[in-house]
Amino acid sequence: MASNSALESTIDKILKNTEKNILTNIKSGLDESQQKLDDAIPKLESEYDKIISNGKKEADKIEKQITGASDIGVRNKQLLVLEEAVERVFSSALEQIANADRSGDYANLVKTLINEAIQILGTSEVTIFTNTKDKDVVQSTISQFSGAKLSSETIECLGGIKVKSKDGAMTFDNTIDARIERLKPLIRKEIAAKFGVGN
Amino acid sequence: MTIEGGVQYSKIAEIKGPLVVVDDVENAAFDELVEIETNEGERRLGKVLEVGNGKAIVQVFEGTTGLSISGTKAKFVGKVMEMPVSKEVLGRVFDGLGRPKDGLPDPIADKFIDINGEPMNPEQREYPKDFIQTGVSVIDGLMTLVRGQKLPIFSGSGMSHNLLAAQIARQASVVGKQDDFAVVFAAIGVQYSEAEYFRRSLEESGALKRSVLFLNTADDPAIERIITPRVALTVAEYLAFDLGMHVLVVMTDMTNYAEALREISAAREEVPGRKGYPGYLYTDLSTIYERAGKLNGRKGSVTQVPILSMPSDDITHPIPDLTGYITEGQIVIGRDLFRQGIYPPINILMSLSRLMKDGIGEGSTRADHAEVANQVYDAYSRSQEVRALAGIVGKAGLTEIDLKYMDVGDTFEKEFLTQATDENRTIEETLALLWKIVSKLPKNEITKIKDKFVDQYYKEE
Repeated sequence: MASNSALESTIDKILKNTEKNILTNIKSGLDESQQKLDDAIPKLESEYDKIISNGKKEADKIEKQITGASDIGVRNKQLLVLEEAVERVFSSALEQIANADRSGDYANLVKTLINEAIQILGTSEVTIFTNTKDKDVVQSTISQFSGAKLSSETIECLGGIKVKSKDGAMTFDNTIDARIERLKPLIRKEIAAKFGVGN
Repeated sequence: MTIEGGVQYSKIAEIKGPLVVVDDVENAAFDELVEIETNEGERRLGKVLEVGNGKAIVQVFEGTTGLSISGTKAKFVGKVMEMPVSKEVLGRVFDGLGRPKDGLPDPIADKFIDINGEPMNPEQREYPKDFIQTGVSVIDGLMTLVRGQKLPIFSGSGMSHNLLAAQIARQASVVGKQDDFAVVFAAIGVQYSEAEYFRRSLEESGALKRSVLFLNTADDPAIERIITPRVALTVAEYLAFDLGMHVLVVMTDMTNYAEALREISAAREEVPGRKGYPGYLYTDLSTIYERAGKLNGRKGSVTQVPILSMPSDDITHPIPDLTGYITEGQIVIGRDLFRQGIYPPINILMSLSRLMKDGIGEGSTRADHAEVANQVYDAYSRSQEVRALAGIVGKAGLTEIDLKYMDVGDTFEKEFLTQATDENRTIEETLALLWKIVSKLPKNEITKIKDKFVDQYYKEE
């Protein structure tokens, strides 16, 4: 019996030791996992902040892409519509100029155009070209300019004149078409302003 | 715009390279715009380079290919080249001469401005001191760009300067202020694929609506390249000084501009200077670079980032050399870093922003910025020496502190310098990375930063 009690006491000891070890291990495991959890919280928070911040950046980027593209798209359409309207105004104005009455002040205009061209070319020895419609007006005005001659050749234009020096080296285009072309950017601005665009 | 001028001359004496010599010309002016009409009725633009003895030398922007002496006419327009400007130029794409390239009509002009610009009165200049955030750590942290500065990027052929330029154009912003910001991008003689990349990159990032693009591709006439930076700067000046915007002008590649200048100079038979470039290259470059700045009493600013590729990576080449005299620092792209696959491969030891000190610190970036940047410069420089030493004696022969500096060098290149092309870092993120590098050093090695900042930001690993 004595040997049995010794055996039981040894087993008890072993069991107690094992229990103690297991409890210690469990406790240290618990502590360790608690510690890991505690350590992980700031990392988690920083990762969370990073994800949120990256997400915000990405969202901002996408928002910029979408709003940028749509703003540009709308603006471009507006520009095209405006240009179409400006062109319509232009063609209607050109039509009116082409059909304008050549009597009255028109002869004075032709005189001014010839005068201007002669001054710019620096010579009065010139040949003047005009369209069929203006030929008579130009012919009657030309007599006031000695050295100027009307060419038998006609040119295609809305009105006005083209002046060439006698040697053919210099030409000054003072047709209404050329004057409109020179002033077109300014005229476009004026027309656009009537539509409420620009100044 | 006037109705004066417009005389057309038909006596062409000579066509030589990009130049046309017109005979019997009276009353022409220097820089006057000339319309060249070919036999087929095609019109090209040019400008008067020289007048005298009844002759005018005209530089044809679109080149003289296909022109013949008989039948070619030159019309002297009576004004210098002007760029029509208005707020509507934002979001538009133009060619190298300022003509629309996006299929839209000419902008309705608010003003027509001489592309040569008006000289800035030196007395009216305001010292540049406001920070521009590019979102690129190495620039924001170590070679900070400030409003009104001219800070060139010196690169070499085939390197990633265009990626960097596009990234700066997409990301650049003025931090903490509601001021309007715009980017004017001038591509000078770039490949078609590069021009498309710039355009797509700005479009896709939504940055196009605050940008204006001028694209002169490699197959466009070289002479156009003389005009491209000037039209770009004209628009930039209008946006800055008339509309009060802060404008960043990125011009790439200025080497192509200088090549075009050399071509004209050779055709005019001028006495060549270094490497065949004209003797007035410095003066000519200054007429472009000096168009950056801020003016007293005006809200806006023009900041320039010209990019130039150095032939054979030679920093003593006349173009980078003369550019360096005019600009306020330089960002140098390093071939070694590029070969290692690092982006952006900026060699910080050869780079410098001379105006950085005035654009950083409390109130603009952060109080510790200058000191932490100096410390990182110092540490990286030391790491390069240690790397060279390790190449001779091996890593085993290095001391513990040497190894720490090597680690600093590696961290700098891998974590700070390396950045994705679409990664936009805030200045706070950049400074945090700088402190991460500094924190790799023991405290006793930190000699350039005040203790209070070390106590606040140093995090020992």
